[in-house]
Amino acid sequence: MKRALALVAGFLALALPAAALASPAPPATNSGTAPARYAAVPHIAAKKSDGFSDTKTLTRQFVNTDGSTYSFPSHTVTVSADKTKDLRGRQRILISWKGAQPSGGRASNPYGENGLNQEYPVVIVQCRGTDDSSLPLKQRVRPETCWTGSIAQRSQVARADGEASWIHDLDATPAEKERVSGMDPFPTAACPNADVPPYFTKLTPFVSAKGKTFAACDVNNMPPEAAVGAAFPPAEVAAFTDLDGTGSVQFEVRSDVENESLGCNHDTPCTIEVIPIAGLSCDQPSSPMSISDKACRKGGRFPAGSSNFANDGVDQAVSPSLWWSPSNWKNRFSIPITFGLPPDTCDVLDPRAPTGFYGSELLAQAALQWAPAYCLNKQRFKFQFNNMSDEAGWNLMEAGGGVAAEVSSEHEQRGANPVGYAPTAVTGFSIGYQIDKPDNAGELTDLKLNGRLLAKLLTQSYLGSDLGRGHPGIGDNPLGIMNDPEFIELNPGLTQISQEAGATVLSLSNSSDVIEQLTEYIAQDKDAMDFINGKADPWGMKVNPSFKGISVPRPDWPLLDTYVPETDSDCRKKNPAVYFNQIAAPVTTLRKIAEALLDAWPNVQTRCDYDPASGLYKLGRIDRQGYGTRFMLGIVSLGDAARYGLRSAELETKPGVYVGPTTKSLAAAVALSKQTKQYSPFVLDQADVRKSATAYPGTMVVYTAARLQNLDQEDADKVAQFIRISTSEGQKPGSGNGQLPDGFLPIEKTGVTAKLYDAAQESADAIEAQEEPPSDGGDGTGGDDGGVGGTGGGIGPGGGVTAPGVPGNGEPPAGDGASPSATPSNVTTAVQMPATSPVSSSLAGGLLPLLLLLGAIGCLVTLALKVAGPAVRRRR
Amino acid sequence: MIARASRTLRAVVTFLMALGCIAALPGAASATVYAQIEGTGSTWSELIVQQWIADVDANGMKVVYTGGGSTKGRKDFAQGSTDFAISEIPYQGVDEQGQADTSNGRDFAYLPIVAGGTAFTYQLKIGNELVRNLRLSGETIAKIFTDKITNWNDPAITKDNNGRKFPSLPIKPVVRSDGSGTTAQFTTWMDHEYPSIWRPYFGQSGLTSYYPKHGGLMISQAGSDQVMNTIKGYAGNGTIGYVEYSYPVNADYPVVKVLNKAGYFVEPTQYNTAVALTKAKINQDKNSQMYLTQILDGVYTNPDPRAYPISSYSYMIIPTGKDDPRMTTAKRQTLADFLYYSLCSGQTKAGPYGYSPLPLNLVQAGFDQIAKLKKADSAVDLTDRDVRSCNNPTFDGKNLNHNVLADIAPQPAACDKIGEGPCGTATGTSTDGGGEGDGTTGGSGTTGTTGGTGGTGGTGGTADGGTGSAPGAIDPATGAVVGGDPGTTTSGDAIYASPTELVAERTGDKSAFGWLAVLELLALILLPGFFVIALRRRRPSGHGGRP
Repeated sequence: MKRALALVAGFLALALPAAALASPAPPATNSGTAPARYAAVPHIAAKKSDGFSDTKTLTRQFVNTDGSTYSFPSHTVTVSADKTKDLRGRQRILISWKGAQPSGGRASNPYGENGLNQEYPVVIVQCRGTDDSSLPLKQRVRPETCWTGSIAQRSQVARADGEASWIHDLDATPAEKERVSGMDPFPTAACPNADVPPYFTKLTPFVSAKGKTFAACDVNNMPPEAAVGAAFPPAEVAAFTDLDGTGSVQFEVRSDVENESLGCNHDTPCTIEVIPIAGLSCDQPSSPMSISDKACRKGGRFPAGSSNFANDGVDQAVSPSLWWSPSNWKNRFSIPITFGLPPDTCDVLDPRAPTGFYGSELLAQAALQWAPAYCLNKQRFKFQFNNMSDEAGWNLMEAGGGVAAEVSSEHEQRGANPVGYAPTAVTGFSIGYQIDKPDNAGELTDLKLNGRLLAKLLTQSYLGSDLGRGHPGIGDNPLGIMNDPEFIELNPGLTQISQEAGATVLSLSNSSDVIEQLTEYIAQDKDAMDFINGKADPWGMKVNPSFKGISVPRPDWPLLDTYVPETDSDCRKKNPAVYFNQIAAPVTTLRKIAEALLDAWPNVQTRCDYDPASGLYKLGRIDRQGYGTRFMLGIVSLGDAARYGLRSAELETKPGVYVGPTTKSLAAAVALSKQTKQYSPFVLDQADVRKSATAYPGTMVVYTAARLQNLDQEDADKVAQFIRISTSEGQKPGSGNGQLPDGFLPIEKTGVTAKLYDAAQESADAIEAQEEPPSDGGDGTGGDDGGVGGTGGGIGPGGGVTAPGVPGNGEPPAGDGASPSATPSNVTTAVQMPATSPVSSSLAGGLLPLLLLLGAIGCLVTLALKVAGPAVRRRR
Repeated sequence: MIARASRTLRAVVTFLMALGCIAALPGAASATVYAQIEGTGSTWSELIVQQWIADVDANGMKVVYTGGGSTKGRKDFAQGSTDFAISEIPYQGVDEQGQADTSNGRDFAYLPIVAGGTAFTYQLKIGNELVRNLRLSGETIAKIFTDKITNWNDPAITKDNNGRKFPSLPIKPVVRSDGSGTTAQFTTWMDHEYPSIWRPYFGQSGLTSYYPKHGGLMISQAGSDQVMNTIKGYAGNGTIGYVEYSYPVNADYPVVKVLNKAGYFVEPTQYNTAVALTKAKINQDKNSQMYLTQILDGVYTNPDPRAYPISSYSYMIIPTGKDDPRMTTAKRQTLADFLYYSLCSGQTKAGPYGYSPLPLNLVQAGFDQIAKLKKADSAVDLTDRDVRSCNNPTFDGKNLNHNVLADIAPQPAACDKIGEGPCGTATGTSTDGGGEGDGTTGGSGTTGTTGGTGGTGGTGGTADGGTGSAPGAIDPATGAVVGGDPGTTTSGDAIYASPTELVAERTGDKSAFGWLAVLELLALILLPGFFVIALRRRRPSGHGGRP
């Protein structure tokens, strides 16, 4: 007997973990969990196999009047890049260097021609061709195949001799030292202003991928992509080297789709040329030295590490303008890059009508990659995703205008038809930021925020500028978050020079599940709520009375302030606007916020000036922020953050614990979320998040929501297909068609996301079936039935399992078989009770498989004991 | 031997076929080469243009559109810094400030891309409740935007609303501060319909892209987004502004029902806009630079009871020059295919976004303009890109001049007639399909009957109640409040009377039943085992033989 018990116990111990594994998931194929692929902070400088690194020694030399040579101290420079192969257009690669000459005269914007007035920068340009002198000229990289967006970056046109230092370049050929040079024959006809004696001109023409040469002497002789005010800011940069000789930049590469003239694609090799400017080397000067001889020998007027925000002139010999001059060009680091095959794309002539899904912008980046996987497969329908507010998408779906909605939380059912939610993607939002450290020390890479700081931003409790000081009740509040002692304590070492953009976080103007979750996060923060309800923070900052006691959570954030400042400004008198609302200026899409952050262009609309064109005083958007002084916050989707390389703030969970969006923290949040009933969304309780030290509060699941009844069967099949495809192949991380982009946590059959996977399949089945009884409004009896169903299922002593007994299987319409005993007594009133739904108990449901297993084992044991027991005993 | 040869042959054939598949795959997809195109301009049509841009990404087309106002769009195009522009109005030659408004010699063509209504959205509160069914005549609107009517209790407003008086509250008009096509459309309408009101205020005749301000309470804001923000803000009580209908639809905000010539107050829904534009006079002279531009006089005075008077088309300006310095074959192809998508399939989503699809004859004419891209560059492929291949259910393939939407557009409700109503229904909500029709009927039922149905819904399950609430987007509470009489309020509530809530599960139940189930299961599984064990224990005595 004892032995038998021990055996049972042993099996029990063995069976427990196995059952625990099996219980929540269907038969799991153990595919292993994907590596933590997505990290929100794109600054992973880990050297991958396709990275690049090279070291060179650079020396500036002068030949003296007597013919002897003077060499400056050398710099041994190492340049590395994190990724060089299979690139996509607009992808950013991290290029970093060390050992370079520290730069001076930092420009407020180092890109394109804005970066020309700097000294000793590192010029980085993208060029077509390979750096291999054995190749024919056409395939070789040369200054003529390097892209610049402006003329000033490549040609020197009609310069006085004080600005003609290149004619004394030690490494230049005699032809290159002529008064006019760069093209032979010189295009005098096309460039009438270039050959004007006694001025000096050096052209660096641009040769396009198709072989066309643009003389680059004036705007009419530049390739079409080089227009002023092009949609994309220039990518080429004159980057700053810090005092310790290091520097880095996220360089954006352009494929032939973005820049046809440059023409880099999967079979046209290209390079990124990194040219640390060490100063021109100069040839033997005339005696006495000419003005241009002296110009070549200049060493810079700005001290290392200084700024040149006024865009003053610099010494040409150490400026980035002459990167093409032979003694600069020979110092180049040539990083070969390759572009991936462009993904197959949908045919614009595809005769199939697209099927529109409407809703949450959180899905946008994934939908972009998913769409081609549908149109390219004839077995599938043509999927199309339409961004709009969750609520608008939901309404369209309920009214029949869209087959399905993409939402991130439970929405009120207004129509008659029940709606099923299928988890489709795990992603979320973050507080994106673009902040520069003071004194040209580079970008801030880690920012911490808590609920109260977010509450302060949203409630418009910062004053923005002195204009806000007159606001009743909060005149002593800090001007911006950068002046808030709470923020300073949390993020020490940042600038405290206030900007209006520091008084706000750029947010959405329309209702959104993102705002709902963000405000729920605030609602669960006691300090934040105390602040909102009128308690000053420990430093005496008070809530804007217009927002005092505002109820949270809420799906839309209203602009409640009414304060119009009194000023002497004519313009503001003529445009009496609510000042804080002009600062907040929310927009309609998350995409716009991401772009504003990318450009460091706050949407603050407080600029007020006279427009001579119309003779009116106008309000408008303030200017872009200068490099080195950027400070901007905005609510972005994790998909956009990953796509555009935006940084995301860490948010406080437990007191003192800050969590950023990573694969791990998203998974931890999913683990906390619960589904209350079948076909309904999972709920992430922010109260749970605040107890967790690992879950990211901005984690959100995007659901495909569709009607469970009265949806056209053809549409129902499409929705079911979409759910099944997006929860299988759509969850494979990658940048290819149909794959899951960065910024999303893959939903898998195993692990924490398994429950989402299961729920998605259940909902897909129910949407396809179009017969699910409403899950609402079941009565008490129905509940009982569900419970009884759980026990009543015949589980034979032999361990045979019959499916209908499992609670929550959902098939038997409980309304019918509810109570045959209850005779229809009240037939007269055609009262139709809402159909009941089976009630599932997660506890029983979870334990059932374990118990079944136990039962089976028990039977086996008894059997074994029966057979083996006598034998053993006999042997004794 | 033969067998082996055939096997080899088969292998070779299979291999070649496989190779063929591989070779064929990319070829099919990459037949057309695209290059990125860029444009600026109208914020009126920006919301749908941005969606089209997202859609064609799947086709490998990269399009960048940054808004900024129609004036900026035309200017950027003229300066050659963009590949296309979107504008509500054509180049004016000389603008109202006497400055050049031309393409600066760049060859171009206009083509309409989408229709829509310029809506008046407002914030007006009675107590704490937002008015959602304001009606105004054109004259009242013109007077509001020229500082002639300055208070919401003005008798003219009361009259428009059939005697319903609004509280004394200064009117704060919100206008655009940037050069805007929406402003141009609005002022064109005022200049044409109410010259005696508009011209003295403007100081001259004609339209303007920059709204003139003479002090007062008028607020000017840059871009449609900011106009919407200002009106929606808490300080916005009393404001009224003009934006494309999509903005209030997106923001779930009410719009003014504007009086049309037939004497009905109507909203700028996709139907009413389509009906109104059947009277748009389109320049049909293919040799004119103004080919396809609109003359809207007939739209303003369209006698159809469904017509929304301030409806218009939005235009794209495309470069047609052979030597256009910005254009290449790949760019022209991208522009052509982007337009092909926008004019065809893209029109299907106009309604949900608050616009109205183009009628087929304008789509057809648009294709004529696209053909100019091929004329400039014979390498542009326009094969099969025509209206017949359009995936658009609102097109009538047989009669190109026919606008299907205008046919199926529902008639306005009786309570929307001048001197009737007003209807209790809310405006500015996203509508689609039949929602409109239901809305008017549902709304007109003001008394107990509707309430009664709602009541039946209570017992009859969700299906019945659903019909009552099918307009879905209508918010009964706010819609009713305007009436200010308690009867309407109750009926509004009654419509939404929810069936008696029957709780399917209570948390207490759940865990109790859970444990019960566990116990029962445990018993079920373990009892047989114990039974067997018990049996075994009994067996020795039973058999007796064994020691």
